[in-house]
Amino acid sequence: MSTLPEHVLDEIRELPAKYPQHRSAVMPALDLAQEELGYLTPEAMSEVATALQLDPGYVEGVATFYTLFHLKPIGKHNFYMCTNLSCMLRGSNEIVDHLKGAIGVHEAGEVSKDGLFSYEEVECLGACEFAPMLRLDHQYHYDLTPQIIDSLIEERRNPPPAPLPPKPKPRARKPKSA
Amino acid sequence: MPDVNVTIDGRKIAVPVGTLVVEAAKLVGIEIPVFCYHHKLDPVGACRLCLVEFSPGPPRPQTACTTPVAEGMVVRTQTAMAVQARADILEFELVNHPLDCPVCDKGGECPLQDFTFRHGYPTSRIDGPRLHFKKPIPLSENIALDRERCVLCYRCTRYYDEVAWEQELTTGQRGVQSYITSQFDQPLQSIFSGNIIDLCPVGALTSRVWRFESRPWDMTHTPSVCSKCAVGCNVNLWQRRGQLVRVTSRENNDIDDGWICDRGRFDYTDVNDPERLRTPRIAGARATWADALTAVANGIKGKGAKLGVSLPKDITNEEAFLFRRLLDGPLKGAKVKMHGRTALPAPAPTIETLRIKEIEDARVIVVVASDIEDDAPIVNLRIKKAVSKRGAKLIVVHPDGVDLDRDPNTVHIRNKPGSAAAEVRKLASHALLKAPGGPVAILFGDGHGSEEIVDLAKSCRELADAVGGKLMPLYRGTNERGALAAGVAGWDSLDGVEALLSWGPPPTAGIPKSVKFMAAWDHLMRPGNEKATVMLPATTFAQRQGSYTNLEGTVQFLRPPIEVDPPLKESWEVLTELGQALGMALDYAGIFAIQREAATAIPALTALAQPPSTEPAPEPVLIGPAHP
Amino acid sequence: MPDLRGSFGEAPDHLLTRWFGTPDLHRLEVYESKTGGYKALRKALLEMPPADITGEIKRSGLRGRGGAGFATGTKWGFINRDAPGPKYVVVNADESEPGTSKDRYIMENSPHLLLEGIMIAAYAVGANQAWMYIRGEYDKPYRMVVEAISEARAKGYLGPKPMGKDYPLDIQLYRGHGAYICGEETALLESLEGKRAQPRSRPPFPAVKGAWGRPTLLNNVETLATVPWILNNGGAEYVKLGTEKSPGTRLMSVSGNVRKPGVYEVELGQTFRHVIMELAGGPPEGRSVKVFWPGGSSAPVLPASMLDTTTDMEALAAARSMGGSGGVIVMDDSHCVVRAAARLLRFYAHESCGKCTPCRVGSDWAVRTYDRILANEGSRVELGILERVADGLQNGRCLCGLGDSAGWVIDSTFRHFREEYEDHALRHTCNVGAVAAHA
Repeated sequence: MSTLPEHVLDEIRELPAKYPQHRSAVMPALDLAQEELGYLTPEAMSEVATALQLDPGYVEGVATFYTLFHLKPIGKHNFYMCTNLSCMLRGSNEIVDHLKGAIGVHEAGEVSKDGLFSYEEVECLGACEFAPMLRLDHQYHYDLTPQIIDSLIEERRNPPPAPLPPKPKPRARKPKSA
Repeated sequence: MPDVNVTIDGRKIAVPVGTLVVEAAKLVGIEIPVFCYHHKLDPVGACRLCLVEFSPGPPRPQTACTTPVAEGMVVRTQTAMAVQARADILEFELVNHPLDCPVCDKGGECPLQDFTFRHGYPTSRIDGPRLHFKKPIPLSENIALDRERCVLCYRCTRYYDEVAWEQELTTGQRGVQSYITSQFDQPLQSIFSGNIIDLCPVGALTSRVWRFESRPWDMTHTPSVCSKCAVGCNVNLWQRRGQLVRVTSRENNDIDDGWICDRGRFDYTDVNDPERLRTPRIAGARATWADALTAVANGIKGKGAKLGVSLPKDITNEEAFLFRRLLDGPLKGAKVKMHGRTALPAPAPTIETLRIKEIEDARVIVVVASDIEDDAPIVNLRIKKAVSKRGAKLIVVHPDGVDLDRDPNTVHIRNKPGSAAAEVRKLASHALLKAPGGPVAILFGDGHGSEEIVDLAKSCRELADAVGGKLMPLYRGTNERGALAAGVAGWDSLDGVEALLSWGPPPTAGIPKSVKFMAAWDHLMRPGNEKATVMLPATTFAQRQGSYTNLEGTVQFLRPPIEVDPPLKESWEVLTELGQALGMALDYAGIFAIQREAATAIPALTALAQPPSTEPAPEPVLIGPAHP
Repeated sequence: MPDLRGSFGEAPDHLLTRWFGTPDLHRLEVYESKTGGYKALRKALLEMPPADITGEIKRSGLRGRGGAGFATGTKWGFINRDAPGPKYVVVNADESEPGTSKDRYIMENSPHLLLEGIMIAAYAVGANQAWMYIRGEYDKPYRMVVEAISEARAKGYLGPKPMGKDYPLDIQLYRGHGAYICGEETALLESLEGKRAQPRSRPPFPAVKGAWGRPTLLNNVETLATVPWILNNGGAEYVKLGTEKSPGTRLMSVSGNVRKPGVYEVELGQTFRHVIMELAGGPPEGRSVKVFWPGGSSAPVLPASMLDTTTDMEALAAARSMGGSGGVIVMDDSHCVVRAAARLLRFYAHESCGKCTPCRVGSDWAVRTYDRILANEGSRVELGILERVADGLQNGRCLCGLGDSAGWVIDSTFRHFREEYEDHALRHTCNVGAVAAHA
């Protein structure tokens, strides 16, 4: 019983052909696995290794090096809070304190009780003119204030209802037979 | 290319193009300390310990291990900047290094200790907590890892990746949190894992088999040859108080290239077994040698084909020669079975065998009917070196996946078991072999009995002729080739014999039921030996004098570290006296006399008459243009 | 004009940013029809011999905008175009230097400007395949570049016969996964090869043995985005701007305690006073500039008294700093230099790859020492350790520049703000007003 579904493994097996040497496929392969599972388990990493014909140790070495690969469970929405110099000079530490309270955790890496949120303090995200800022769900959010933090959380705690599917057109009436 | 002239600390020297500064310095007796540099691994310049100043060059110190010499270069290792740089690096290494010397097995042969004395600061300025890890961690049954001692030179992971093509040992995390680990904390599986113990410059990777056994200055060692397989890797055997306490590699670039496999490194503890047999016994009761040998002679003489002789894979050339004399004389007609041998025939006398070192120069390597990782492990490493460092191409003919498949460029032809010869015949027209561009190396095994061996050998011979190649038969038995030369590498079945002379471990298939008399020569009471009427106590490989012929035909002499103390007798002595008991006129003053006679009697063993060659002068390590 | 935080529109020094803000500039048809896009590529592919293209870049005196400031034309010249076998152009879009966001600004505003530069460079050095290594956190720039590439392919500007020229050209993307060290050339190449990103020993240099062992040209995003202007207007025109050794303009991300943080295009030779006080509006009301990092956190700091230092590389070198990535971080007098330095050392220690001893051990030792100092447990001993660590990190001790940068943070803050260090370490006080809760 594999951790990764077959279609993901198939996609991974096709990756090496895109690169001059097959080892280059490791990073995009781990990305696919992490997208699927939320984080990387040893089993998932071993399966990626087998699909790429590499030793699991090799994949483990790569996965533990890069900070965007998560080796422990994270919340469904992980806040990447920049606290490097430019953001620190514009109050990122206070924003982080507010966030901790708002999602109900004590430290980075801890997942909120409802499993929805976690955060980590990260290094410069390359948007210093918008400091303090964060990255959440593959998007940057700028000029942070406690209110913005609160609304980002609220949107995810109580997502607005999905739009209703369009009403089906009424069926054309059968003409009465004469 | 002409040699390059350099000046190192005022001393002038001429060295070949491509020599690294750190190696050139060794030639004039100057030590530049290194951790991450190892002459068998690609240089990385990671630890920064070898910083020296060059001119012409940038105004900053450079690493001596990554810089090849240049004409007219002036190297200074003792300038204030270089001396301080090295001392600073050592201080950094010691910041997190635990004060373990009293309990660390590396103490006494530890480069970190030695370099700190010779190149480091005399006092410590380190104050404050050190980085801590759980320790020691068993990486396998044989190897322990201590992460606190590790200086992260990465020799172990680089060796695994570059030399063994495996990555079960890896580095986790990054920065100061980096640590060495086995994949997902599983035990190391590789047969090549033990070499990391020799590579590690500190006590981070240590042998669990030798743990807390001895300090280096309490041991003596002799340069000998491993007894476990036909490669004949050179080893150092270390003894203390009559016990064999460890086995380490002894670099011989012609054969092992500085590596040994785990069988040779760790499988020796039986030598020290307190239950070892020490006196001859007849029917369980102690006897003198004279009585015991008489009893043996009486039990086995005149039996003709009803006598079975079981020989071990690590029979020496001298023992083999003596057995030849016995089998030509009083034991004529006996059934002989040499255990652990392959089905391969003796090499044709007129054809030169491929030498292990020549594998490196091959442009195409063909491996047939063998998973060399199992059969001849260190030859497997040599093939990997040729492929990854010299660009050789690799073709494998084998029904199943083999270890060499780790390289996706390996051409693997999966034959049906039994049809390897047919596949080999097709190879002459293979794309890679049409114009190999240089020598071709063809290595063939016996497929563990799945191939018809005479035809396979013939097809390999034809291929070699067609493409300009040389052959290497992959014998498995330690001295299979020597025994074949002496004509004692028997293949007869022992079923139905009434008398059995078992030399070495008892037959793996068990003692035939028909045996009424058995004489055994072994050092342990292994299952099967209880049936022996006469039990002769044997010497082990740690005490054995003699020689082996490895699979390429090189004769190598054993030098045992442990003496044969009475009542034990040397094997050649026992065989000589047995021959006398059987009525032969055998009389040898010592092993040299046997070797001289064997050299004249058997053409393949002429090397026995020559004294062993002296240790070759160390070669400077070359990179770059000096190699084609 | 949309609300861009930085330079856009017509101005004598807006070479790169002239058209930023044009609606839908990221679409190929807008880039081409409204702004003269892809004219330079046409000229390069169909009218110029490759050697001439490199010659034009050499004439322009353009220097790498990633951090090292190496002469771009010279770098292109290192690739032997006629050597057999594939060669690669690798685009360094890993932008992770603290205080730097200019490459993101370019990719989000005008991805085709970057693509055009890449294609011209590839043709000039004999490469058919370009790989863009983009940091994993840049989701939006990644999407925009992917879109731009598929537009270029559909238009036939990328493919087996770009613009009809028999010279295949393609661009592929490779995403980073969170490591500042991947901004270092050879570490980037290691990461591209699917390994742990640890820099290589040089020589051999990437021009000889780069990506997958092949000759490789590595350039920063901004450097390549400048190429179309140079081909359109000529290298001689580029030299007319800037200073003798630092011609042209560069994008400077100004951030920190300023009223108008943004990515500003600045003619080299302008003063930092102009950039910080005029373009970025200076510090907030009631505060004054205390210290600034002129080129990302890796550039040695300059105190406010040196605001008149000009932005060219030579002047910065004379001021014992460097141009670096052009990321200007401004700190006012309400913040503590020691805390700022401590936070930066924590950054370097976290990002250290662990390959070489001094950076791996030294940066961590410095962090622990800063922690002691900031916890009021410091003394002269801790100051000595910091000085000694800074010494051990510089001057060729480390394998790459990360270690040197960490050393410069300690060195330069000591040089200009020794008082603050002594306040913390010896007098166990901090004489600065608002102090961040934790560094």
